[in-house]
Amino acid sequence: MEQDEAWRLTDQLHASTGKGDPFAAAVRGTRMAMIITDPRQADNPIVYVNNAFLAMSGYGRDEIMGRNCRFLQGPDTDRAAVRQIREAVAECRDIAIDLLNYRKDGTSFWNALYLSPVANEAGEVLYFFASQLDVTDRVDAHLKTQQEKEHFEREVARRTHDLREALAAKTMLVHEVDHRVKNNLQMISSLLVLQTRTITDPAARASMDAMLKRVEALGTVHRRLYQSNNVERFDVTEFARDLATDLVRGSGRDDIRLHFDFEAVEVPVAKAPPIALMMNELVTNALKHAFPDGRAGRLSILVAPAEKYFTIKITDDGVGMPVPVEISGKRSFGKRLIETLARQLNASISWQSANPGTAVHVSLPRETAVSSESQ
Amino acid sequence: MSEPLRVLLVEDEALILMQLEMLLEDAGHVIVGTAMTAEDGVTLVHETRPELVFVDLRLGDGSSGLDVARAVREIGGVTAVFITANSRQLSEDLEGAAAVISKPFSASVMEDTLAFLEEGLRRPPPVLAVPHGMILAPAYRASWAPAAP
Repeated sequence: MEQDEAWRLTDQLHASTGKGDPFAAAVRGTRMAMIITDPRQADNPIVYVNNAFLAMSGYGRDEIMGRNCRFLQGPDTDRAAVRQIREAVAECRDIAIDLLNYRKDGTSFWNALYLSPVANEAGEVLYFFASQLDVTDRVDAHLKTQQEKEHFEREVARRTHDLREALAAKTMLVHEVDHRVKNNLQMISSLLVLQTRTITDPAARASMDAMLKRVEALGTVHRRLYQSNNVERFDVTEFARDLATDLVRGSGRDDIRLHFDFEAVEVPVAKAPPIALMMNELVTNALKHAFPDGRAGRLSILVAPAEKYFTIKITDDGVGMPVPVEISGKRSFGKRLIETLARQLNASISWQSANPGTAVHVSLPRETAVSSESQ
Repeated sequence: MSEPLRVLLVEDEALILMQLEMLLEDAGHVIVGTAMTAEDGVTLVHETRPELVFVDLRLGDGSSGLDVARAVREIGGVTAVFITANSRQLSEDLEGAAAVISKPFSASVMEDTLAFLEEGLRRPPPVLAVPHGMILAPAYRASWAPAAP
């Protein structure tokens, strides 16, 4: 009680700063709101309050003295924060916490509370000393930042979701189109196969069969197209392997051995169909002319990249083609097809004698106008 | 040739169905039925108990070949093979099917496929190499296509 009286006395000192106890005068005069409570009295009442606290809370000294601090709480005060303070008081330890308090007029403010026990030499807690600072601006700014952050995160999440959906729709569309293209190519093949069966004229039948092989070559392109994950590039060597295996198998010639010499070459997808058709013609030609009368042999396909060009070389060890006649003579449809495709691809083709057999050497630019357009 | 295979075809494109029928007949096999929807396919699987079923993934009336493959797996003793233009939509285990053949297939690939399947079913393991348009299910890979030496 003696100490309590001393604080009261300090209150009554309306003297200017510096008079009396300099520490008490400092507490009294500071702009930092401060209160002192007495835990030894029932309900830990306020036993001292400075002017700064009265100014901050809007209460008069008489309204506050002897009351527990909980009158500062209001409807939106965080219960968990209050509990933390209560626990700190019960355990006689200090605590620093921001909580929402209410002024006498009902308006709220963010209170940066710092509460610490004051003990005597025996370790007995005599008082709690609390300082308060109105940090509404800081907390509001923080909350605003938090809200903005949440808003942007929601917005980003929403847009990401939209983009994912758009991508999924696009992927589905690509698969749908891919599916239809493949199915339609299969149907064209079916039509040709079915029609060919009804034809008895050998020449007409051979033409139909050649046409079927061309459609099947395009089919192989489309089957290969989305097997890799890269939808823009086409692997020439994988295609060449499928095509040649298919053609030799289709020719019914098990006495013709295939030999591959491949270095991976990828071309833009738009170039795949003409390359496929050209290879189909060249391999078909070799199978048709190089090994007559059951002559066994070897058909070798080389695919090799160079700096700006890549090479496709198809070599047989067959009877050898009468080269000049084949090139300059009456042009077959197959030959015209090769020339037309070469023009489209900007490719150069040469036929050479391979002693024995024939070597067809095709040189193609690795990138063409097709790929630069698509960029 | 050994005993012809008893085959069921489930494919909703009439032309492709026709070509498959023709290829199978040319190879000397017996077609026990054809269906264009999953429902008809499942019914025929039960009614005809074929040895081999070729199933398209997308079937008529928006039905799915997966249902046919599941019916095949349930009754057992029947081998299913998918023929599809979207093999990427299939799960790794192919729903119990033995293999998937990618569309478009060439006539010669289908001939190879039939020869391979005949060996696989009649005289396993097949001596022939796996046809290049065919992907075997993991369960069949070990027995039908041992790793090359």
